[in-house]
Amino acid sequence: MTVPGSVENDHRHDHRHDQRPRRSRRRLLWLAIGTLGVAGVLALRAFTGGLDSVGVPNVPQDLLTLATSIIIESLPFVVLGIVLSIVVQTWLPDDLLMRYLPHAPVLRRAAISLFGIALPVCECGNVPLARGLILKGFSVPEAMTFLLAAPIINPITIITTYQAFGFDDGILVGRILGGLAIANIVGWLFSLHPQPNALLTDRFAAQCAAGSDHHRQTRSEKSLDIFMRESSVLMPAIFIGSLIAGAIQVAVPRDVLVSLGSNPLWSILAMMLLAFIISVCSSVDAFFILPFASTFMPGSIVTFLVFGPIIDIKMLAIMRTTFTARVLVQLSLVVALMSAFIGLVINFVA
Amino acid sequence: MILIVIAVSATVWLAVTQQLVLYIHPRYIVFTVIMAAIALALGVMSVAVRPRSPEEPAVSKGWAKIVGITALVLSGVVAVSLIVVPPATLSSATASQRDIVGSTVGSDSQNADDVANADESLIASFTVVDWASLLRQTSDPSFYADKTATVVGFITESEDDPENIFYLSRFTVTCCAVDAQPTGIAVYAPNWKNSFAVDAWVEVTGLFEINPSSRSDASLVLVPNELSGVERPSEPYLY
Repeated sequence: MTVPGSVENDHRHDHRHDQRPRRSRRRLLWLAIGTLGVAGVLALRAFTGGLDSVGVPNVPQDLLTLATSIIIESLPFVVLGIVLSIVVQTWLPDDLLMRYLPHAPVLRRAAISLFGIALPVCECGNVPLARGLILKGFSVPEAMTFLLAAPIINPITIITTYQAFGFDDGILVGRILGGLAIANIVGWLFSLHPQPNALLTDRFAAQCAAGSDHHRQTRSEKSLDIFMRESSVLMPAIFIGSLIAGAIQVAVPRDVLVSLGSNPLWSILAMMLLAFIISVCSSVDAFFILPFASTFMPGSIVTFLVFGPIIDIKMLAIMRTTFTARVLVQLSLVVALMSAFIGLVINFVA
Repeated sequence: MILIVIAVSATVWLAVTQQLVLYIHPRYIVFTVIMAAIALALGVMSVAVRPRSPEEPAVSKGWAKIVGITALVLSGVVAVSLIVVPPATLSSATASQRDIVGSTVGSDSQNADDVANADESLIASFTVVDWASLLRQTSDPSFYADKTATVVGFITESEDDPENIFYLSRFTVTCCAVDAQPTGIAVYAPNWKNSFAVDAWVEVTGLFEINPSSRSDASLVLVPNELSGVERPSEPYLY
């Protein structure tokens, strides 16, 4: 007796069977191309690395050194962020993160803003993680709350800030509370948007919409798919952000900023500008700004430590992979105003 | 995907040739290399498996296309530079731009009271940062009279008396070259440009004395007994 559909099933089976060797050959071919590519890059590097100098003048050479430094410094955190994003999207049970969160939106965002305590990834690594949270079902304002708070309340950031400043002048407390306040208020503001998905770039919104189509892939295939996709999106942003940050650093004299340091208002604006240009990682920015502590007022230092992890050249370039330019302008303005307000209050109170 | 392969390959190569310290603090090297190895493995496996994305990116138009192409070209330039241009430390251009004279880096690295009666072996180990720290605390010539300094650094031109004085400089790094902060000590060596170029690495042995130069603002300067060119140290930054 012929079972309905059995011919079709057999046909599918044969078809899959025929495809396997071809698919294996194709994989081997791509593996060979990938390996040869890596070997080629390493060989070229080894060859040119022997050159003492190619006559690059100081300023462009320093620009390249700074850009390379940002790329190399941020790369491991981005990879860690992508790996954590893969874990969240692929390997964690669907409702694990959602199960224990409060239902009230304000409390829910407040809880999400504390996720960074358990995730010691600096700001650039949090972008792929935030993208993963959106793909996992978090709303855009919720993921934004996480993205803004996480680099500031990450334990490494808190420890290094304490090592640099202790509890002097309320800098550590101002940073933590200021960062949490900004993240939650920004999350609340964007939650008022009637269509939160309109905050996302078309490409990422399409990716969110298509997220459930992955069910035919194995977990391993899906993990590699996420890695390929995220690194393809984020790496150009890091390269461009690093290049621009390096170029501005060699072009803008720092003493111009320092000369503004003793005025309560101008010192805050100077600190935000410095944070924006320098694009230094949140886990060490306290050490970076420490030498300025004698010149700048405490509130201005807090402004630097709150504003920098959220908005800088590198972060804007990386966040542009996920949010529209309009959102980034709004976000920058709101965060700048709130950071300046926090800094001013501390400058006049401390 | 090409960019991450290039970035990761460059990182691995720099680690193998022990030149990662030109870009990041040594404490991050192990973490960086582990993550680079993971990225390399995932990158090669991704290419090998070639998983299919459920959607293709939309084709950009107009300005978006121009911005996209510009970003691609700039990324390509950085990527090629990353591979082709030999690794280098930051130079005197950045040191000058970051205000080497007014630098307060490492202000508390040495305490003048503790150093007043320190033995020679301790003083011989002092770096540029240590001496700069002491010079900020006291400019009393008698404090330095019996303390011979032997220090290594690169040459940054003095702005007020470039013929006779240069700053022996080092960068201090907390995380990576981006946060490098310069510090330096003034060295009195008339016509130094006849023997050395700006950015050259030199070792100076001498004593700190009252500055003979009338044009320079530095109150004390290192007057060399010996001044010789040296190779760039394997760890050019101080931590």
